Amino acid sequence: MINIQPYQNPEYFILLVIGLLPIMIGLLYGRRFRTYETLISIAFLVLTFGGVKWHQGIALIGYVIFELLLIGWYFNYRQKHNKSWVFCLAVILAIVPLVIVKLTPLFDFGKESIIGFLGISYLTFRVVGMIMEIRDGMIKEFHPWTTLQFIIFFPTISSGPIDRYRRFEKDYNNVPDREKYVKMLEKAVHYLFLGFLYKFVIAYFFGQYLMPKVDALAIAHGGWSVWVFLHGYVYAMDLFFDFAGYSLFAVATSYVMGIETPMNFNKPWISHNVKDFWNRWHMTLSFWFRDYIYMRLVFFMMKKKWLKSRIAMANIGYLTLFLIMGFWHGETWYYIAYGLFQAIAMIICDAWQRFKEKHRKMIPHNKFTEAFAIFLTFNVMCFSLLIFSGFLNTMFVVH
Amino acid sequence: MKLKKKLFEIFGPVVCAAVILIAILVSPFNFRSFNSKTIREAAVSQSTNIFKGTVVKQKALEEGYVPFMGSSELSRMDPMHPSVLAQKYDRNYRPFLLGAAGSQSLSQFWGMQGINNQLKGKKVVFIISPQWFVKRGINKNAFALYYSNLQAVTWLKTAKNTLMDRYAARRLLDMPSSHSDKMIEQCLLQVAAGQKLNKAEKVYLDLKYNELIHEDQLFSTIGMNDRVAKIDREASKLPRQYNYQKLDSLAYQLGAKNTTNNPFRVDNAFWNNRLKSQVSKLHGEQAKFDYVSSPEFGDFQLVLNQFAKDHTNVLFVIPPINARWAKYTGLRMSMINDFNQKIKYQLQKQGFNNIVDLTNDGREPYFMQDTIHLGWRGWLKMDQAVDPFLSNDQPAPEYHIDNYFYNKSWQMMQGKKLKQYLQTHQAN
Repeated sequence: MINIQPYQNPEYFILLVIGLLPIMIGLLYGRRFRTYETLISIAFLVLTFGGVKWHQGIALIGYVIFELLLIGWYFNYRQKHNKSWVFCLAVILAIVPLVIVKLTPLFDFGKESIIGFLGISYLTFRVVGMIMEIRDGMIKEFHPWTTLQFIIFFPTISSGPIDRYRRFEKDYNNVPDREKYVKMLEKAVHYLFLGFLYKFVIAYFFGQYLMPKVDALAIAHGGWSVWVFLHGYVYAMDLFFDFAGYSLFAVATSYVMGIETPMNFNKPWISHNVKDFWNRWHMTLSFWFRDYIYMRLVFFMMKKKWLKSRIAMANIGYLTLFLIMGFWHGETWYYIAYGLFQAIAMIICDAWQRFKEKHRKMIPHNKFTEAFAIFLTFNVMCFSLLIFSGFLNTMFVVH
Repeated sequence: MKLKKKLFEIFGPVVCAAVILIAILVSPFNFRSFNSKTIREAAVSQSTNIFKGTVVKQKALEEGYVPFMGSSELSRMDPMHPSVLAQKYDRNYRPFLLGAAGSQSLSQFWGMQGINNQLKGKKVVFIISPQWFVKRGINKNAFALYYSNLQAVTWLKTAKNTLMDRYAARRLLDMPSSHSDKMIEQCLLQVAAGQKLNKAEKVYLDLKYNELIHEDQLFSTIGMNDRVAKIDREASKLPRQYNYQKLDSLAYQLGAKNTTNNPFRVDNAFWNNRLKSQVSKLHGEQAKFDYVSSPEFGDFQLVLNQFAKDHTNVLFVIPPINARWAKYTGLRMSMINDFNQKIKYQLQKQGFNNIVDLTNDGREPYFMQDTIHLGWRGWLKMDQAVDPFLSNDQPAPEYHIDNYFYNKSWQMMQGKKLKQYLQTHQAN
């Protein structure tokens, strides 16, 4: 039994084109072949989670059944009652599988959990988002079938982008009109080829060609050297082009299926500050954290009147958001240090903006200051990704 | 009508690109030839893409280049380097350097797939590094640097159910790089188990071969190190007329000039970059090094077996180790001696009698460029054997391969057992 990981090799893309062709023809003539779409999705899931990875497939099935039951149960409960502790319980239950998967390597000598599978994080984000919107009363109907399609939507299953249920549902239940769909196809082709350039040319150059050379020089030199910092930049480029390329494939595939999955990146390297960066980098994740963790925490603190200072509340929000993001990446010192670094960068960025607001007249604003802002943000972010890459760990901790 | 036009605008270029790409990759046509300038560059570039490929090597060997197989010593390009000497004194051969840091016997064996036809009845110079023969054999990452699926596909097309081929398949399967293509992996498993490949697999290998050979034609010369100017520069330091005495004293001077900042007669740059900062840690560090018991002896047997199959006449070079450095690091000369006896037995027993054994020259000043790599006077001494071997006609060698050398017991044999074995067998 063969196993092909999504968007990794030519075979996958060839199968994708063949599989999507009937869907495309259907949508062009105003029809959505739901049964066929489901069968194709299953086929691609089997391709990813079958063969040598069959145990991941089992874990995925178990996970999906559990989460569907949980959403269904909470939806039914919410129609009659609205207790906070039940809501909390539902969220905790929803993230329990992910927490187990993330903590298992820590307690079991680096072994992977048997309930883990590729993309569990992204599925959990979608489920938690749904539960929160059910609590808010924004999701008014529960359709197990559409929910299932949403959770395991195959183009985005392994690493997002993280869609929102209500947005997905609207697309899924409709067929775009022909003019719009042709525009989507045009974009899809463009994204697909941009993705090829990003992932298989540029990311390959940085990751496979440049990085080993830089790493060898860093290790040969030993200790802190310019090569260590250079690793951060090369890693940042590799990560961006690899992930942005992957995201473009996922969005392109979604478009062909008539689903407007949101974009994940928007030219992050021209960001003027850290906040701007997070509005452009891995956007669906940062918006998810913003909407479901940061905003809710800040509102909660305001409602309970824990603190008077809005600034302090915002800062606590940042720390919480980015530390959770750090822990979510993995239980190692460098992911957590990365989270802390981002939170502090955010706090400083806010403080600077308040300062600038107050002293408008004294601080110049022109092309040069803007260029400097971009330059500074770029370097700060590349340094944060140097922490994130774990290279400091290999250089200074492991041996 | 409008829809069709619009769709054609969107997908027309994609379909065209796909059709052209597939036609290019799968078609059996050759659509690139290499000019002599490219070949000359490739011969001294030591680029991994050239090593992994086939077409450039084939072309070069057809034009009379002689493979110099080895590893990191090949990149020590001083005026006495074989590529420089051959060019300066307009010898009737030009070296094609095959190998760089980390290319050991197994890499060399797989690197020969694709040029076996060109090696038939030809000559090769092969530099053996004792340092390859470590307990664990070739490093898997180093192997990955020099391995390509093209090597495996080329080989699989002619693999047979022989001990040699089963051994080669098994060794390749030990390496993670052979698992990148599931079909190739499956074919290797079958060859390792002595099974025949089926029709579908053979068709797959043929198509895959076309695809990979085209990639090789198009891309293998990208990113080559251009060392031609470097070779020219080194050549300009040599006297116009070849004169061994003069060259030797020049090599002596160059060595003395370049090894002034350390007591080991190691090249200044190498000393500064690689040794200086950790020299105290390296004191006595090699006392336990052992090159006598290693799976590398089995991999080396694959190379010998391939040479025998191709009837290639090979000159083997066993370089020494910088004696001052060996003494400082505590490397045991008795172990080196055992290695030497063992490798020479494996060679001579099977009829590989052209051996340049430099093991005892480690004390000669400026023989080595650094710790373990030949340089200045070492290259020149090697040339004393290489030049006549390549420039003059040689009697055809007679090889008789002994499969015993694939045995684990031979690979691991050391100490008293090895001594006894060599005594009893050399007597006959």
